[in-house]
Amino acid sequence: MRLPLINILFRHELKILSRNRVLLSLSALIIFILVSALWIGSSMLRKQEQTIIKISQSEKESLDSLKTRIKRIEAHQMVYPGFIWDDPTFAYNTARNEGPNYAVKKPFPLQVLSIGQSDVQPFYYKVYINKKQYLTYESEIENSFLQFIGNFDFAFVVIYLFPLLIIVFSYNVLSAEKEQGTWVLLKTSNQSIAQMMICRMGIRYLLFTSFFWLIVIPVLMITIGGDALFTVNWTWIMAEVSLYFAFWFALALLVNSFSMTSNVNAMVLIFIWLFTGIIIPNLLQIGLNKVYPIPSRIDMLTAERDAINAYFEKDGQDLTKEVFSSPKSMIRQASVVTPGMVYGYGVIVYKSQEIKDQATAVAEEKLYGQIRKQQEGIRQLQLLSPALMMQERLSALAGSHWYQFNQFSMDTDRFRKKTQEFYYPKMADENTYRTFSIADADAIPKFNAKDYHDFSWLKIWQSFLIYLGIIILLLVSGYRRLLEARK
Amino acid sequence: MTGLILKKELKELFRTSKVMWMLGGIIVLMALALYNGTSYYQTHSHLIRESQQVTYQQFISQGDKNPHLGAHFGFYAYKPTADMAMIENGIEDYTGNSFYLEPHKRGVVRFKEISDATGLRSFGFLNIGFFTEFILPLFIFLICHNIFSKEWENGTIKMLLSSKANPRQIFMGKLFACLSLVMGIVVLIAAASFILFISETETVGFISRVLPAYACYLAGLILFSTMMTTIGVSVSLLTRTANLSLIILSGFWLIGVFLLPRLAGELSKNIHPSTTSLEFENNTFNEKQYGVGDEGHKDVRREALLQRTMAQYQVKRIEDLPVFFIPITIEFFEDSDGQVMDRAYQAVDDNEAKQDRLVLNSAWLTPFLAFRDFSMRITATDMKTHNDFASKAEAHRRKIGVIVDDFYQKNTVAGNAFWKTVPQFSYTAPGIGWRISNATDSIFILLGWTVFATGLMVYAYRKMTV
Repeated sequence: MRLPLINILFRHELKILSRNRVLLSLSALIIFILVSALWIGSSMLRKQEQTIIKISQSEKESLDSLKTRIKRIEAHQMVYPGFIWDDPTFAYNTARNEGPNYAVKKPFPLQVLSIGQSDVQPFYYKVYINKKQYLTYESEIENSFLQFIGNFDFAFVVIYLFPLLIIVFSYNVLSAEKEQGTWVLLKTSNQSIAQMMICRMGIRYLLFTSFFWLIVIPVLMITIGGDALFTVNWTWIMAEVSLYFAFWFALALLVNSFSMTSNVNAMVLIFIWLFTGIIIPNLLQIGLNKVYPIPSRIDMLTAERDAINAYFEKDGQDLTKEVFSSPKSMIRQASVVTPGMVYGYGVIVYKSQEIKDQATAVAEEKLYGQIRKQQEGIRQLQLLSPALMMQERLSALAGSHWYQFNQFSMDTDRFRKKTQEFYYPKMADENTYRTFSIADADAIPKFNAKDYHDFSWLKIWQSFLIYLGIIILLLVSGYRRLLEARK
Repeated sequence: MTGLILKKELKELFRTSKVMWMLGGIIVLMALALYNGTSYYQTHSHLIRESQQVTYQQFISQGDKNPHLGAHFGFYAYKPTADMAMIENGIEDYTGNSFYLEPHKRGVVRFKEISDATGLRSFGFLNIGFFTEFILPLFIFLICHNIFSKEWENGTIKMLLSSKANPRQIFMGKLFACLSLVMGIVVLIAAASFILFISETETVGFISRVLPAYACYLAGLILFSTMMTTIGVSVSLLTRTANLSLIILSGFWLIGVFLLPRLAGELSKNIHPSTTSLEFENNTFNEKQYGVGDEGHKDVRREALLQRTMAQYQVKRIEDLPVFFIPITIEFFEDSDGQVMDRAYQAVDDNEAKQDRLVLNSAWLTPFLAFRDFSMRITATDMKTHNDFASKAEAHRRKIGVIVDDFYQKNTVAGNAFWKTVPQFSYTAPGIGWRISNATDSIFILLGWTVFATGLMVYAYRKMTV
């Protein structure tokens, strides 16, 4: 096809589109929706960043308070005037009160594009020696009803709304010619109808995609700054979103090539959108839940509690008796808390925790193992649903995918073990149980916060190429059918 | 005359292959929704019932322990799966179902299933609720969008208008034809769900409990489906072209089902921002430790309590008290800390109620949201029912605290004989009267939409001219 003809087609398309009132109103609505989605994403990011600043302030205040109190006790011959359970020179008390530090997942700036799992997974944990974080925390204080409704972010707009807009843009490229009576004119032209149709669809795709990025990029520059736009993640986001739009345009071309009425074209495309965007993910959900059912966390609780009951039948029973009946700790033990009792409680807590951690390890592995299997299932089957594939990609590239939160959760668990290793020796030995010093306070382990934006597990090239192949196939099939279009 | 038009339209609909394909697809989806919902209900209700027994059994067989230590072992109050979760599970997976009953720690409902779900969950959960709120309206619009416009496009409108039938009869004939198809699906849903309900034999008194709520749910579904069909047929008449009608109706669906609720949700988060866990924890800790107003530090309050207790028993030393002081302290702070936590949780609940109200108000712009809200409230899978569970579980937790502390004042070791005196927890969702009053707002909005649909219908058939 010659360049001048492409030029004519380009101007023709611009004229047609700009004179279509429905399209113009939809485009205005889309600008509003897109800007709103980006603004909502960035306000969530800002809120997380502010919370993280507050967390570090809170940690600093706790440490300062701890050190001040220890200094005061040391200056008064180790006498603590307040309640014994608040005395920070007991390692066990510090581990419960000012000691616990936070594990934080720093938000990746591109998270403004896809909230992903950020609203249902915690991005920070207060890490205690005796509380497994997954049994304690779930997420920020969020309204369950709003979580249920879902987020309004860039990913939602791209995945759900844009395909429908593309359908409105492209469902009648060929059928409108027939319905308006210009088809006969086209047939008499010495140009290839198939090439012209592909060219028109290509022009619409370019106009649509350029318009889209022309809105998104400046808004992102304003809301999150330019740095995030020079990352590999951003490059991939641009490539994936453009590919997703290309898929819908290619599909519209194929549907058009069947020479049905505009109304039927629109219905078929809406049906495909509904089927691939809602029904297939739901069917996959049913299937994966059947094949890899995710056990309830209640199972972990049951395992933990069974183990504790078993422990208290013998060893725990002896230890408790030793603590609560020892002459050292017992001066009317249910009236006055003695230092020996605080120490003993600490020992019971840490011994029990060791038992609990061992007991829950199996149930925990079963839970996360099943989720991992489901995730792997999604990775393999996501090609069935472009919407699902897009969601998985966007959340991974934005650093808000389940994998990345799981990575954070595992790092938090490692940090918890490190914290336990720090406190346990100080709690467990009678010679050290009331010697927690300022040096110890300074040595309390701290979590190394990062943003978890790596996506190497995604095998992104592989599925990108497969999807590109599918789009080419759709285009070739549409083109071949158009070559035969004579009616 | 209306009957004749109805018969003709039905014949035409059944002879249209795309309608038959759609009907086939919708029935398959409905069957899947029923299967998925039933399977969800069976798995969850069984697990919860069993776990409630297991956790209590673990508690009452924990053996000899210091009463306070044993009370800390505690047990869980599990929220039973809603009776109607087979057809609508609402926000059940987003609220959690486990409430830890242990001393001096205000319980929080934990274990939101959504935390362990994959990204697939964001596409919804296919059950009858999802089917009727998301898929059925789109099906209705696809059926109705060209019911009138085809007459203009085929040029048969003149023939129709020159017949003996008046515009109202023509409109009613076409509306009833579409309604017959839609009501056919509603009847299928009703019959299939009813069979599933009567086949649930594990729960005592299940069917008598479910029936009133189920009847209300069906009434709401019939109203909603009729309203959607009326809107679909009216738009088809007003637009006169199938394409425009399809774009308007599917746009209305998309905006109503996905866009507006989410946008309203985000707006409510920004207008009524939630407190963070960090702030919540720090504030409640400070209030408990340093007191509210002129209450004073915890140490001061503890000392005052000791002086009061010694004065009460007319002794001068703690060691001379005829009762143990630690349980008295625990009970005292359970009460004052409880007030701090009640205030804090009430503030969270109040803020969430404001957010929910804002979202529900947006249902004046989208009937889909109003029906979803109605459906959740009637099936007791909404936030208010969840809060009712949480408050009853918290009351039970405090009751256990009093029992244990009273025992602890005179005993230092508790055995299984004592643990068995602690009552088990059980919860039943409030009855249909409470649910209807809880759903008043959404019922009112649905009625408002019904008035709108009727008005649109009258306006549309008055415009039926060539």
